[in-house]
Amino acid sequence: MKPGRLLAWGGLAALAWLARGLVLPVFLAAMLAYLLSPAVAWADALAIRRSVAVGALYAVLIAVLVVAGFLLGPGLLAETSAVMDRLPGLAQQIDVGLDAAVRELAESAPALRRLLPEGGDWVQRFVLNRGLGEPSDLFEHMGHLFLLAILVPFFSFFLLRDIHRLSAVIMERLPPQHVETSVAVWRELNGIVGRYIRGVALDSLAVGGLAALGLWAARVPYPLLLGAFAGLANVVPFVGPLLSAAAAGLVVVLTPGQGLAGVGRVVLLFLTLKILDDTIIQPFAIGRSVHLHPALLLGSVVVGNHALGVLGMIIAVPVATVLQETARLLLEHRRVLARRDLRRHPGRLVV
Amino acid sequence: MSEQHLPRWLVWAADPEQARRARFLARSPLFVGLPRRLLARLAPRFFEKTYRPGEIVFQEGDPGRALFVVVEGAVEITQATTQGEYVLRTLGPADAFGELALIDDSPRSATARVATPARLLILYKSDFDALMDGNARIAVVVMRNLSRLLAVYARRVPVLAIDPGPPPETPGPP
Repeated sequence: MKPGRLLAWGGLAALAWLARGLVLPVFLAAMLAYLLSPAVAWADALAIRRSVAVGALYAVLIAVLVVAGFLLGPGLLAETSAVMDRLPGLAQQIDVGLDAAVRELAESAPALRRLLPEGGDWVQRFVLNRGLGEPSDLFEHMGHLFLLAILVPFFSFFLLRDIHRLSAVIMERLPPQHVETSVAVWRELNGIVGRYIRGVALDSLAVGGLAALGLWAARVPYPLLLGAFAGLANVVPFVGPLLSAAAAGLVVVLTPGQGLAGVGRVVLLFLTLKILDDTIIQPFAIGRSVHLHPALLLGSVVVGNHALGVLGMIIAVPVATVLQETARLLLEHRRVLARRDLRRHPGRLVV
Repeated sequence: MSEQHLPRWLVWAADPEQARRARFLARSPLFVGLPRRLLARLAPRFFEKTYRPGEIVFQEGDPGRALFVVVEGAVEITQATTQGEYVLRTLGPADAFGELALIDDSPRSATARVATPARLLILYKSDFDALMDGNARIAVVVMRNLSRLLAVYARRVPVLAIDPGPPPETPGPP
């Protein structure tokens, strides 16, 4: 490799290392761009300039967010602050219940005593250490979230506005032999990923909305907050629906006057939601074009959690899907090329 | 063309490049009969690329995954024979080639080579399929035009004496 090129690659690698903090915002911005791209395609079909189309789309989006904030914001804020106020008390209540259960278990089965955890106040300690943490940690988390809330729409705006120009520049510089190979694979992948991300978003919106409505109808406290959580958690396969049902169940258990009937209503609601999601919402929103093996699903969630925590669990499945589809398309493409080479050189063994 | 769909107060926002492309596609035999509204939907799906003379667009046997429309220049469609390379057709502006890729993934039956500096529009099968999903009219018109083109090709090809090959072996007594 020539020294100039080596230097350029080294410079690029150094730049990428310095900008590693931007990977997550750019990734989330790409997801947002995929979500909004049908609206831009619609404007393209009317031959409206991209800058005007994307600007108008953002104006509409801001208006929708303002209206949604106006309608749902006060309720959501009130529920969040009520939960934050009640959190220490709730944690204490759970710890009392857990303490009693552990004591009862130790008395009825002394052999298990060694295996049972020592000490108490597990939930309170968890809430203080992991959930809320030190005030400085809380401010740091809020700062990160605020930065993401600014950077993601910002990058997404430019992705939507300029991606066609960037594609045109790349296309012009691409050697002709790649036009029907690499670009075709990229176009196919782009279609699959776009449909999948929009499908997952629609699925989550439907599940979150239905959960909030159902919880409100079942007179469960904090229906907006629990519905929003159910929508977000729905992206995480297997674990997500269980977590949202458990959260709603816990709220019911700790609310005076709800009793076992309340728990039964929550279980019935989330079971119905799961069946609806599997049989109607998901096939309609996502279709059956993308299918991850259950082991890959769970594995990706574990890896995502390990790498980026809750956010990692949310983005794990889309990332795993993109990787799986890329590998599938590249392998398929390789097989087609191998068949072609075999036809051109019948004597040669192509592996 | 497409600017005319926009209300007068929105004409300032029109993209002249997309309008030019849609106007151009209307001239291509493959897209004849498509209403302006659908041509406008089709136009942004195309990529554009400049080719130098002698560059190969695709080779016989390559997997076919895109359709090409000549915007400028000339493209030769050739086929290798035992006597050497045979030029089947020379295509000019508004002509489309590689259209069978829109139907299936079969390998290319001929080679396309750029004869003079050319600019081509490229439509990938996956993009065309995505567009067809929501617009059955596009599928009907394009497939009808494609059938007409194939009928023209079929009439041009001389009748070949087909060698039926050796007769099937008749099973002997066990």
